Amino acid sequence: MSKQLSIKEPYPPGDFAIWIIIYVEFITFALLFLGYAFSRRLDVELFNASQLAVSQTSGFINTFILITSSYFVVKAVHSIKNMTVESQKKSNIEASKWLLFAIMCGIAFSVIKVTEFSHMFGMGIHLSTNKYFMFYIMLTVFHFLHVLLGSFILFIIYKKTKSHGYLPNDSKGIETGASYWHMVDLLWIILFPLVYIIR
Amino acid sequence: MTRTLEYIWITLVTLTLFAYLIGYLKYISTTLVAILLITTFVKGQLVIDYFMDLKEVRLKYRLIPTVWLFTVITLISVAYYLPV
Repeated sequence: MSKQLSIKEPYPPGDFAIWIIIYVEFITFALLFLGYAFSRRLDVELFNASQLAVSQTSGFINTFILITSSYFVVKAVHSIKNMTVESQKKSNIEASKWLLFAIMCGIAFSVIKVTEFSHMFGMGIHLSTNKYFMFYIMLTVFHFLHVLLGSFILFIIYKKTKSHGYLPNDSKGIETGASYWHMVDLLWIILFPLVYIIR
Repeated sequence: MTRTLEYIWITLVTLTLFAYLIGYLKYISTTLVAILLITTFVKGQLVIDYFMDLKEVRLKYRLIPTVWLFTVITLISVAYYLPV
């Protein structure tokens, strides 16, 4: 009788330090999400009325963009992980292509978000307008800063792939950046229904 | 060649579209909110397992984000459903 054993990796992909950062981010965002949810509970009508001022379409497009960018990043990681000595140049080129798509998604997300913020601030809405907008601005601006940092990290990795800098069995760097980017995606997946949809 | 990643992407996009369409309803019933929260958990778990690639990692490291996700969504549900 043959028994198939699946051997699990001992540690998550990338440098373990990034996972410590990711766990800290999880806690920070969890507190903000729950702060929003429990504050809403105390003033449902205000939250529901204020929510009408935000664009669900922008939220949807941005969710689509982040999910798609995460897919591109996974493809880039696979290109590097499946690299052989013979395919080093080809794999780096392939990864750079996927990373470029992901960076473009990051830029598209940022443009939509900046447009949304300028529209909102133009309407005279700010942190002290009411509790909904306080949480909305805090959550989305804080997340937006993570998108900017994530895009910058992807750009650094992209530059390394462009110079064919990744070697076979050397995927830790790209996996570290990818893990951070997926965290940014995961946080938005919760933020979108919470802030834009549920009422 | 398996197309797992593509199927995951399609599932994530479909569930996001579902959430967006729910947002268009004038009145969102508590049942729909429950479905929305469950689909959010499913989406998060797909990202954890297939994008973060934690499916191939020791269970304890996979469980950390899963437990986090489950706790956050459960507490959001508590905040939504608990009578004031």
